[in-house]
Amino acid sequence: MSALLTTSVGSFPKPEYLSRARTKASKAALSREGLRELEEKATAEWIRFQEEIGIDILVDGEQYRGDMATYFAENIEGTEISGLVRSYGNRYYKKPIIVDELRLRGPISVDWFKFAQSQTDRPVKGMITGPYTMMDWSFDEYYGSRADACLAFAKLLHQEAVALEAAGAKVVQVDEPALSTRFDELPLLVKAVGVVTKGIEAKTVLHTCYGNYNEIFEYFNKLPVDQIDLEMSNSGLDLLDRFRREPLKKEIAFGVVDVHSHVIEPEALIRERIEKALAIFPPPQLFIDPDCGLKTRSVEEAKAKLRNMVAATRATRQAHGWT
Amino acid sequence: MRRGIARFDKGEIRAEDLRGLEREVVDSVLREQNDAGIDLVTDGQISWYDSQSHLAGRLASVEIDGLVRYFDTNTYYRQPVVRGAVAWKEPILLDEWRFAQSRSKAPVKAVLTGPVTLASLALDKHYRTKKALALDLAAALAEEVGALVRAGASHVQIDEPILTRHPDDLSLVSETLERIRAQKGNSSLILFTFFGDVAKIFTDLLEVPVDVLGLDLVQGSATWSALAKHGATKPLVLGLVDARNTKEEDPAAVAEKVLELKGSVDLRASYLSPSNGLEFLPRDRARKKLRILRAAAKQVGVGG
Repeated sequence: MSALLTTSVGSFPKPEYLSRARTKASKAALSREGLRELEEKATAEWIRFQEEIGIDILVDGEQYRGDMATYFAENIEGTEISGLVRSYGNRYYKKPIIVDELRLRGPISVDWFKFAQSQTDRPVKGMITGPYTMMDWSFDEYYGSRADACLAFAKLLHQEAVALEAAGAKVVQVDEPALSTRFDELPLLVKAVGVVTKGIEAKTVLHTCYGNYNEIFEYFNKLPVDQIDLEMSNSGLDLLDRFRREPLKKEIAFGVVDVHSHVIEPEALIRERIEKALAIFPPPQLFIDPDCGLKTRSVEEAKAKLRNMVAATRATRQAHGWT
Repeated sequence: MRRGIARFDKGEIRAEDLRGLEREVVDSVLREQNDAGIDLVTDGQISWYDSQSHLAGRLASVEIDGLVRYFDTNTYYRQPVVRGAVAWKEPILLDEWRFAQSRSKAPVKAVLTGPVTLASLALDKHYRTKKALALDLAAALAEEVGALVRAGASHVQIDEPILTRHPDDLSLVSETLERIRAQKGNSSLILFTFFGDVAKIFTDLLEVPVDVLGLDLVQGSATWSALAKHGATKPLVLGLVDARNTKEEDPAAVAEKVLELKGSVDLRASYLSPSNGLEFLPRDRARKKLRILRAAAKQVGVGG
């Protein structure tokens, strides 16, 4: 049986040579083509690594992105990019500023999806930064209404989802880390994600993280996607009891390693987490992945976490006779 | 400073070196506020990792754990975990405040996250109720306030954004502020609420035991009608400049709005301010907001 498929959320750390190249490119000391070549090299390396350790559903690792919202905004007309603002601790990012009506220049991530998919026979996820998060993580000097800005993004991102599917994506993930930002706006999020996923036949996934899940729990089954992808380890698997009482009617990708900790979780600990998840979710409904994108870890840490995650999943499958 | 923190994390520079960098940035933040003509300044909380762990992490029986989203912002705090009875051990903000005041012509406001917000955002593994935790946190923070006031702080601000989410916490906030007030000496004690409105509790909020009340009137614009209707018996900090969006306000329009309160609020004793801390804006935009603030305040004749 196909049980406990492994995947990743999206981002992987950039190798040192690519970080240096991005710095050079930002100072115009490296051409766009020169940078692209190294981004492709890093993407191919991550695809190869995921294949080698045996991940089932791959990601391109987002080696070509800075921040997830800024990358999309840079490819949408009507936006500018701000100076740095803090995310947490010493992590900073540049925020989009909406200064005019939003318009799509053309496909945003399709080219990178095609490149990544050309490197492997296994499915690679198409990755879209969701409309609610795009709105919430942007300054708005044009629309003056959060709903209007959100739905404007949603219309454009639907075109992106359609283009990804047309390019062969079997899985399209919509990232909504801002999902739990304002509980009173959850109906807006559901509506906007619905605009993005409308008519998409590929498997649709919604990833979110670092929120008060108890407050948003009742919305999980209302989200217009096939699978929800949740950070579970950072929050100590606190949500499992609630899922026991109120079953999820969708697939779940279950985060089993904390992406903000340098500690490499041992295989035994990850197995324990998977077993706890299996006590609630039937195996075909359960996918195994890290809590979130691994880009804030070092390459070595990210690889070690992924290796242990896959090894623990494999051991669990064997223990249950699912190999 | 960002590079400095990264080097410190890698063990390439010492804690003293990082402290030196922080102080350089505090110095420039104070210069920016002084240059903009701000009457009551802050140290910009430059050395704070976040609003929760910086204070709570230095109290007895508190450990710092994983990242949690901070209200509706795209920022995260390391969650304090309370393992036993919390208590004040040593001054937390005192050195930072002393340094800032030594570099500023204008008085430096000491800013502390309030006990009820700290209690609400922490993970409590010891107390049975939020109230019990909040009251002990208040006792601990009162010690800190006492130390700051003895060192010369003339203005102490307690931030309680939780009131915009849980207005029913008002009586608890009031009770905790009684404890803090006992240590405030001659300083002016300010309660600031932000990230939303306090319209439903506005008249009761005016009764809390503080000298000045700070209001977010941007994200909390719903408070405006209550304020316009009832006026205020206390001086206010009017948070009318949007600290969460880059769009620039017209100082004349801000001034006009403030003047609507003439006669119902003591504008001479009140302040004009951003709607919350300016850390959510890029630095160049934050500077612009300070200039807007000063220009608007000048037109009205209140502090900024």
